[in-house]
Amino acid sequence: MEGLGRAFTAFPAIQRVAFAGLVAYRAEMIIWVLSATLPLVMLALWNAAAAGGPVGDYGQVEFARYFTVNLVVRQITGAWIVWELNWAIRKGELSPRLLRPMNPLVFNFAETMAALPFRSMVVVPLVAALLLWRPEIAFRPGVPALLAFVPSVALAFACAWLTQAIFGMFAFWFEQSMGFWTAYFALWSLCGGYFVPLDLFPEGFVGAVKLLPFYATLGAPIDVLLGRAGIETVGLQVAWLLALAALARLCWSRGIRRYGAVGA
Amino acid sequence: MIRVRELSKTYRVPVKKPGFLGSFQSIFSREYKDVHAVSGLSFDIEAGERVGFLGPNGAGKTTTLKMLAGLLYPTAGSIEVGGHRPQDRARAFLERITLVMGQKQQLLWDLPARESFELNRAMYGVERGPFKAALDELVTMLRAEPLLDRPVRNLSLGERMKCELIAALVHRPQVLFLDEPTIGLDVEMQVQVRQFIAEHNRQTGATVLLTSHYMQDIAALTPRLLIIDGGKLRYDGALAALAQRVAPERRVVVRPADPELAALGFVAHDGKMVATVPSGDVNRLVQRVLSSHPLADIGIEDPPLEEVIGRVFREAVA
Repeated sequence: MEGLGRAFTAFPAIQRVAFAGLVAYRAEMIIWVLSATLPLVMLALWNAAAAGGPVGDYGQVEFARYFTVNLVVRQITGAWIVWELNWAIRKGELSPRLLRPMNPLVFNFAETMAALPFRSMVVVPLVAALLLWRPEIAFRPGVPALLAFVPSVALAFACAWLTQAIFGMFAFWFEQSMGFWTAYFALWSLCGGYFVPLDLFPEGFVGAVKLLPFYATLGAPIDVLLGRAGIETVGLQVAWLLALAALARLCWSRGIRRYGAVGA
Repeated sequence: MIRVRELSKTYRVPVKKPGFLGSFQSIFSREYKDVHAVSGLSFDIEAGERVGFLGPNGAGKTTTLKMLAGLLYPTAGSIEVGGHRPQDRARAFLERITLVMGQKQQLLWDLPARESFELNRAMYGVERGPFKAALDELVTMLRAEPLLDRPVRNLSLGERMKCELIAALVHRPQVLFLDEPTIGLDVEMQVQVRQFIAEHNRQTGATVLLTSHYMQDIAALTPRLLIIDGGKLRYDGALAALAQRVAPERRVVVRPADPELAALGFVAHDGKMVATVPSGDVNRLVQRVLSSHPLADIGIEDPPLEEVIGRVFREAVA
């Protein structure tokens, strides 16, 4: 994408202002990060459900591991571009950003990455507390799982960000485009592995659900780290990344032509 | 530097009937109407020129500026700015221009303005040396040093506009599009911003295209005027020539006010007597006033710019 080279050289400056912005709103940011800790609630629920015996091949320890990794992946892959883009397009706030010699999407991507250290500061103590409470959650993933996890979680981040960007760009065409995102989020929560491990879905349904983009943005890296999915899952994520990137590019090139009609 | 030919922009806007029934109907069938914001506009601006872009509200000024800056795609016609098609938004084009919008800001709201300048430096790829030189120069010209380390949200409107101007100019653009740069500012701040724009143009040779509702901005900054109304060009030429063409009268002002001068066509106004006469009659009138009031203080003025522009708009409507 145009401007990636400039984004790379400008990254330290973007990171500094993004981090400074987060710190300026530190209370709000901590609350926002904590709001993504639903996996802990799901952990408590499934822990209770598995008290009488395993659900499928998930016992209490497996659930605890699944939702702990879920929490970490969710934090790493968190983005906010759907809200920001929607607002900027509808209110004309995109104009000052369009004047800069860097695509606003590229800028937001760099800004989102810059927030990762802040998110880590919040999630690391949470995971440490979980491990202290339930030491049996700790596990040592195999080297192949670890090697596959790194690209898998990076791909999940990119896919999740692109998906949000696409829904954000719907504001070029629809006045109340956030409704689409709300519907998507409900589906994603169920089919992405946020509420429940997909392996607990009825047999025959699992395979189909895992082919959808929801899984590529969350469930895939969890399963990869837990050794429940292999390198082929990473391949599927790459395919989704390419498809989403192409769709995002199309939405941007078409949408920007309509910008004036909605709020420039 | 700027070449515009037959430029048009049409917005398609939804039309909703009033009331609950109208809202309900719009769910099933929505009507649209075309709004022609700009129609067949053509003009050229040479490098280094300062041009005022005037027109009543809704005339198409801001739409035109946004098309020139590459924010909006034209419906028809062509634009060339410094050899670029603005809507392509090529990096080389964006690095050469800036658009200051009085109503919208590019500064980071919660951070000191200095952070925004540094971010712009990185995004425009300006080396540290030239950046520091440009920043120091702009800060000195605008007397903005005390403002740089305060969060933008804590600055007054005028202080923010100073920082907006610095952020917009720190990459040394060659073309400045200024959309109401003095809107909402107090008189002293307006004067400072005007002086700054004129000085910047003199020092850098940058091309300036400016819209403003304040006629003092136009009078002080832009020797050439483009007047549009209803999206069409109504006048392109020098400010002085416009006054001659539209309002070929002068105002003769006499102080102190003496009601006897009413016999010569004067009317009392703010403690003085004012008569508006054709330019050719000024000498005769002044002699008649001096013969009866040899100690009077007599001044000869052009009609106020607001009046001249108002006449252009009224003629356009007629």
